Amino acid sequence: MNTKLIGAAALACAGLLTLSACGGSDSGSSDGPVTVTVMTWESTQTNAVIKKALASFVDPNIKVELLDTPSGQYGDKLSSLTQAKKLPDLFWCGNDTEQQYTQQGLLVDWTSKLTGDFGPDKFVGSAIENWKTADGQMGGLPSLMNTYGLWYNADAFTAAGLQIPKDGWTWDEMYAAATKLTGKNGAKYGLVADQLTGPDGPFTMSMYAVSAGGAPFTDNVNHPTKAEADAKYTEGVQKLTDAVKNGSVAPPGYDASNAQSLFAAGKVPMMFGGQWLAAGFQVDKPKVKYGFAPFPQVTTPATLYDSVGICTPQYTKDQDATFKVLQYINTKVWDAVLPESPVAPPAYTPAQASYFDALTKAQQTTVVDTVKADLAAEKTVGVRFTTQWAQQVGDLTTAEYQPILSGKKPITNLPSYIEKINALIKSGG
Amino acid sequence: MTRLSRPFQRGNTRSRGGLSRSAGSDTLAAYLFIAPAIIGFAVFVGYPLIRSFYLALTKYNGLAEPVFVGLGNFRRLFTTDPAFWPALRATGYLVVLYVPLSLILGLALAMFCNQRFRGVSLLRTLAYLPVVLPAVATITLWKFILNPQVGLLNTVLDRLGLPTSLWLQSPTMAMPSVVLMMLWGVGGTMIIFLAALQAVPTELYEAAKVDGAGPWSAFVRITVPTISPIILLQVILQTTAALQTFNQPKILTNGGPGFSTSVLMLSIYNNGFPNLGRIPQLGYASAQVWVLFVIIIAVIALAAKFTSLWTYSDNTPD
Repeated sequence: MNTKLIGAAALACAGLLTLSACGGSDSGSSDGPVTVTVMTWESTQTNAVIKKALASFVDPNIKVELLDTPSGQYGDKLSSLTQAKKLPDLFWCGNDTEQQYTQQGLLVDWTSKLTGDFGPDKFVGSAIENWKTADGQMGGLPSLMNTYGLWYNADAFTAAGLQIPKDGWTWDEMYAAATKLTGKNGAKYGLVADQLTGPDGPFTMSMYAVSAGGAPFTDNVNHPTKAEADAKYTEGVQKLTDAVKNGSVAPPGYDASNAQSLFAAGKVPMMFGGQWLAAGFQVDKPKVKYGFAPFPQVTTPATLYDSVGICTPQYTKDQDATFKVLQYINTKVWDAVLPESPVAPPAYTPAQASYFDALTKAQQTTVVDTVKADLAAEKTVGVRFTTQWAQQVGDLTTAEYQPILSGKKPITNLPSYIEKINALIKSGG
Repeated sequence: MTRLSRPFQRGNTRSRGGLSRSAGSDTLAAYLFIAPAIIGFAVFVGYPLIRSFYLALTKYNGLAEPVFVGLGNFRRLFTTDPAFWPALRATGYLVVLYVPLSLILGLALAMFCNQRFRGVSLLRTLAYLPVVLPAVATITLWKFILNPQVGLLNTVLDRLGLPTSLWLQSPTMAMPSVVLMMLWGVGGTMIIFLAALQAVPTELYEAAKVDGAGPWSAFVRITVPTISPIILLQVILQTTAALQTFNQPKILTNGGPGFSTSVLMLSIYNNGFPNLGRIPQLGYASAQVWVLFVIIIAVIALAAKFTSLWTYSDNTPD
């Protein structure tokens, strides 16, 4: 009996140990075509179109496989795959990820591969500039540009007797319009601007300062040497604080996740947002007549810049094969994807036509105009730090900057906030 | 106890060698049976515990080798991190709000469900139902209910002519709203109290009634003392759970507005697994974990100490 019991227990232990040893491992390489894996953060529908477009990639030595991954919690997924050293050959990445991973030596530097028809001059200048690390490496390539502006409900503006926002309108006009639109047609706030009041708010406020001839919040989001809040910047913060106080602008802490649907339902008359919302509006058809205008200005135009891209881990099996697929995505795939879902203009400029054609066909002319104006803007400011200590800046913003906007701390606390960020910059986190 | 000891005594008189073989085999079998649990504990609890303590003393991002920084992470936590003290405050506020409310509501619900009336089984099922529903789905549902502009709660309050609130978007109402949502799962507390109440001998109530005790007197003098060990258990369980709350603030508010619902577990998660594909701060997050661990041990010890002062125990030997 005891022998049987001991045997059963030993068997159970062996089974447990066997199970715990069943970790994943790379399958051995074969002599067949090399497989290049691709992972995106796109929706199932967009992935289906990308998959179809990738099927047209023909190379007898390369097989492309689009990994079937759900788009939710992409950041968590990326972290897990990074630590497990299981990143796919090509994965969608933000500028933050590219900068931080490249500095850790995790990504392939593509700088030397950018030549000829696929040279750096064929990309949007600010995107190429911002994808370079301090020592000139590019751990990925920018693929799509994010441009930002102001979505407005044209019907609400007309009903309130206000002029429709357009290129050249001012911050004062925007705040005045917000005040007038507040409380109309179920609108709790005249303006919802998470980019101004959220964790990235201090960077967005740079637009005001730069447009007024002042200095931006920081000299460089990738390799900052200082942060500052000069008189023009402080003036911008004061105006926003006043607007929050009078209830015309949604305060810090407002849950902006529903803003898009509230805008479509006519309950948010103005909101800051990216051009990518146009693709959603094309499908969901808001109940109201809407448009997309450039950000307001003080004296000269200024806007935000941001781009997303595609990165490759150092341990990719065949760098040449991977680069061929990367080049194909940037030059060909968007032509197939963007007409169906015009989410963003490609960073590779020759591929931009399909994006603008799709929007023009859908009669989204204000989006076309604003995106083109943003891409051509001379004065641009970054959306957030891409440094490894960026999270600590976010915490400082929540603790010091947002209470100023809410009126819980005086604006005289602004220099103390800036001082703490400069201390972080100096210590490198 | 007596029955178990007899074979040993018997064996002892027959053959010393036979006993050794038999006892030895039994001991070996026992060790083999508990081996999976011990191995599981060592691999999944013991080692991570020791490893996390080591990591708490390092700068580690999961990608490069850890760099020893001594107490640097703890120094940063207590002196320069603008998120740490607000996280402690938020965690403390949640515990103070949630634990007493869940105990009072759970006990009240259990007492109500302990009555004999038609439909009591259905009521018990309904009260327990939220516990078995998927947490993420119910929390998301509550997010819609508490939406200040289009949410069900404000719509109903508005229709009734009662004042509405910003709920999750208000720095003062956000944590009470999170606690309100958490109380939705009070059925779990109720079911344990219900089991305890049903174990209270009915003769005690009958005797008290004969002596002229009213319902309140019976509750205070019979019910509470009799189920006091279960109350102690619940205090410990609920406090531990509240200190480790994560799902509700993560889904409902992501810690906002400001730091009003940024509990310690959320802060640990955000440092260990930052969004936007940022580089993790696993060493720093480990230091936070150890601070939370010490707090949990201290709070439970205190709770047990004070609660045991009035806990009734029937452990007197026969």
